[in-house]
Amino acid sequence: MTDLNNRVGATPRQQPEQPVGAGRHTEPDRVRPLEHTPVTKGSTTRVRGRLAGAIVANGGVLLIAAVFIIPLLWVILASFNRTAGLTVSIPDHWTLDNFRAVLNTDTTYRPMANGVILCGGAAALTIACATLAGYALSRFKTKYKRPFLLTILFSTGLPITAIMVPVYGLFVQLNLIDTISGTMLFMAATGLPFAIWLMKNFMDSVPLTLEEAAWTDGASRMQTLWYIILPLMWPGISVVAIFTFVGMWGNFFVPFVLLLSPDQLPASVSIYTFFSQYGEVQFGQLASYSLIYSFPVVALFLFLSRKLGGAFAFGGAVKG
Amino acid sequence: MKQAAGRGAPLVPATVLLLVFLFGPILWSIYAAFTNTSLSGAGAAHSQFVGFANFTKAFTSNGFLNSVLLTLFFTLVSAVIGQNALGLSLALWMRRAVAPVRAFGGAVVIGAWVLPEVVAGYLWYAFLAKDGSLNAVLERVGLHPQDWLFSLPILAVSIANIWRGTAFSMLVYTAALSDIPQEIEEAAEVDGATGRQRLFHITLPMIRSSIMTNLMLITLQTLSVFGLIFTMTRGGPGTKSQTLPLYMYEQAFSFGDLGYGTAIAIMLLVVGSVFSLLYLRMLAPETT
Amino acid sequence: MRGRTFGAGLIAVGLGLAACSSGSSGGSASGGGTTTIKVAYQQFGEGKVMANFLTSVKTQFEAANPGKKIELLPIVASENDYYTKLALMLRSPRTTPDLVYEDTFLINSDIQAGYLKPLDDYLASWADWSQFAATAKGAAKGTDGKTYGVPDGTDTRGLWYNKAVFAKAGLPAEWQPKTWDDVLTAARAIKTKVPDAVPLNDYASKAAGEGTSMQGFEMLLYGTANQLYDASSQKWVVGSKGFLDSLNFIKTVYGEKLGPSPQDATDAALGNKVTQEWFPANKIGIALDGSWLPNTWQPTGAKPWPQWATALGQAAMPTQTGQAPGKVSLSGGWTWAIASKSPNADLAWKFIQALQTPANAAKYAVEGTQIAVRSDVAGDATYTTANAKTPVFTDVVSVTKYRPAYPEYPKISNQIQVAAESVMTGQETPEQAQKAYDDAVKGIVGNDKTTTQ
Repeated sequence: MTDLNNRVGATPRQQPEQPVGAGRHTEPDRVRPLEHTPVTKGSTTRVRGRLAGAIVANGGVLLIAAVFIIPLLWVILASFNRTAGLTVSIPDHWTLDNFRAVLNTDTTYRPMANGVILCGGAAALTIACATLAGYALSRFKTKYKRPFLLTILFSTGLPITAIMVPVYGLFVQLNLIDTISGTMLFMAATGLPFAIWLMKNFMDSVPLTLEEAAWTDGASRMQTLWYIILPLMWPGISVVAIFTFVGMWGNFFVPFVLLLSPDQLPASVSIYTFFSQYGEVQFGQLASYSLIYSFPVVALFLFLSRKLGGAFAFGGAVKG
Repeated sequence: MKQAAGRGAPLVPATVLLLVFLFGPILWSIYAAFTNTSLSGAGAAHSQFVGFANFTKAFTSNGFLNSVLLTLFFTLVSAVIGQNALGLSLALWMRRAVAPVRAFGGAVVIGAWVLPEVVAGYLWYAFLAKDGSLNAVLERVGLHPQDWLFSLPILAVSIANIWRGTAFSMLVYTAALSDIPQEIEEAAEVDGATGRQRLFHITLPMIRSSIMTNLMLITLQTLSVFGLIFTMTRGGPGTKSQTLPLYMYEQAFSFGDLGYGTAIAIMLLVVGSVFSLLYLRMLAPETT
Repeated sequence: MRGRTFGAGLIAVGLGLAACSSGSSGGSASGGGTTTIKVAYQQFGEGKVMANFLTSVKTQFEAANPGKKIELLPIVASENDYYTKLALMLRSPRTTPDLVYEDTFLINSDIQAGYLKPLDDYLASWADWSQFAATAKGAAKGTDGKTYGVPDGTDTRGLWYNKAVFAKAGLPAEWQPKTWDDVLTAARAIKTKVPDAVPLNDYASKAAGEGTSMQGFEMLLYGTANQLYDASSQKWVVGSKGFLDSLNFIKTVYGEKLGPSPQDATDAALGNKVTQEWFPANKIGIALDGSWLPNTWQPTGAKPWPQWATALGQAAMPTQTGQAPGKVSLSGGWTWAIASKSPNADLAWKFIQALQTPANAAKYAVEGTQIAVRSDVAGDATYTTANAKTPVFTDVVSVTKYRPAYPEYPKISNQIQVAAESVMTGQETPEQAQKAYDDAVKGIVGNDKTTTQ
């Protein structure tokens, strides 16, 4: 376990100092000594090969990025285009009318607010529960630990889509159907297994010595968690927050099934309704609505990834 | 004893949430899959135990078998081949790419991943539509445009899912590759190993466990994909892109047959569990 | 009847009101002596006919009944999703509306599910009930003999055609096809001579829901020698030649590209496109559709188009080979029903009465382009003037038929949509689609309840 934990936990914290993928180009000092080794035979071939490799690599990344960017370009350009169609095109008339048309309470403000309450609340709940559970799983040795961990790991793989029919039935029985709080609890539960798993791994990478010092000073376990561990844990919590919130914000199926009143629906559902009604007519409005709806997750992602030292930091948490 | 209870306390909130909202519905679904409970009609008022009827119906139904095949295709093409290979290639190339290229490529690929699935669905709907960007490009280079969402719907949604999911694999592989000590690859290079040899004999074997983990995770994620397909094609035209989650939705909610829909859900859960157990087995030796 | 297009989208009046309340109070009394009843109806796209009508009655009702509030609950969903959402809401006391707007095809299924309340006690003391035609009274009758809904109109189905497109295609301004082939011949002429117009729309997608079953398919089937249900043996018909011929008609329409493009044909908003975009822009030749279409073109409708009455022609849908009675029509309609879990049934009933005062009933019949089911409305001057603009659709009342609205019908209807879409998309041959339909029907009603007629 330790090996895995160290790898999983440590990577994000290393990011600021050594961005992943920095590779040779940014670290010539480590490469050069090898270049000067006496084995000169074939060294020109190596340099040539390296050059070819670099061309292939840069070209490959650029090619894929170029293909990937076309759909993204469409949504950005179309949202400012008065006469937007389905094809990517530079607007003849730049306009903010599309944004103005959808920026009203019923189309945008309320669904966005509902989404923030629903997903923000659920993500906060997930993080809180996962932090507590992760702490217990990381620090205490009990006989429940292994079965609990295995169950958590197993649950990370369950397709949540599959249980929506029974969850709907359960919500009717518990009288939780069409309540934001009930939906929030369910979304929090679905985010938990993965969050607990990540959180435990991050906790494992926080050295015990600091806590032991705190305990000798008479701090309780919860005080130690709050004052000692959490301040060291923010990269881990950021990663969990991103995975959890992005997943919830984009989740369309869960609120679609569990929330029924139009005034409770979050943005993920209202944008679907908008699309099915007007999507094939009002392309510009749909595009601007898409941008508005995507803004919170993109902003959160940019903010946290900057603090973590690069978007690539997120991979370290799950590479297994 | 008291200390044991105290130690378990931080686990309580998570345990309660998981029991009520995750394992509760799973148990309930095992019961409901054997009934004729429905959204309207007689089954809504008084549901009856029907034995294995829902399962028999599934295995003799063309609709179900069609969905199983489509799900296999979707998972294989979009996750196992598409996201995995593209993510690995990007991660490998990123190491050699110059900083601006790396930043640009990373931003675009990760941008596709961060966008909500419904938005991703629209973007691809627009991209592949009859008068969308792809056809505009094809026409310019003299190829015959067509209505992709109609002629090749399952391929269309698979490609959209590759677009949306590649970032995940790329991030996982980037992190894994960063753990390989540079000296090892360099030593191999000095020994005259070609790029291809180094990739297959050194790099890939060293990130083997990450590959397996990634495959497992993306397979599981792809099995559950609903919103993306629902917004792009609703499973159609006909049932040509109706993977299991969409089939389940149509049966349970559109056609109101909750019992049958739940039986489909159970089978989806079983498939998910098998992959989940495989994943577990791979990590378990390390879980002491 | 699902083809109606009186939605108003997210920007509807009712939504703003819903926002002010808790939205999850289950419509029960919320203190201070105020009683609120929730009224659920479908909204999709730009249409505002129902929203405007309900808002006006709500204003009257609240003024006349201090302390009582009406909360309009527009369910923003396509034809097919509306019934799913409605059933989901009716299941729980928390989410149930008090009053629901239900299509008559679905009502027996919801009665059987126990979602609705019998209205017999209320009807017994309501003088206006005697104004309703017998068929309308029967439309919302359960198998238990009780009545569960008050219909607010009915409809017929037939062909609308665009005279400008017809002129370009060299077709006559006054057109009455005698057989299915006549319809197809006209569509082929349009395809050749007016390439930018959709020759013929015949709903065949799952997304169009009951519109596909009724307008798109049953309008064909009921013009053959076969029907869906054999009344004499009380069994559902499988394996009929008429069913296969109807599927073949769909195959011809879409196979020869006489219908909308695949993208449009599978779009949930196809109905809105036909009425709001294509007809006014002369982009469609013929539509097999309902008598209510002009409600879109009213001054209060989604796409005001005063010229519609002269720009469009109307024709009865012919029987397959012109056999007697030569033309075919189907009728449906919608009803107002009270949810069985409603805590305010008495007040909900009062609101039904308010919706159905003679003046309001006539107002809706005109604005919604309904065919009246009340004798007093049928005699109303504004109604008769408006109704005179759709002579063909009024005339086919004499031959119109009704769906077998048994509790199983909605499930059977779903299978018709599956069959139609699989043929339309070319995924299955008509023979394969019919076989799948037959198997599904046997699964739904049981082998012994089917007949090959």
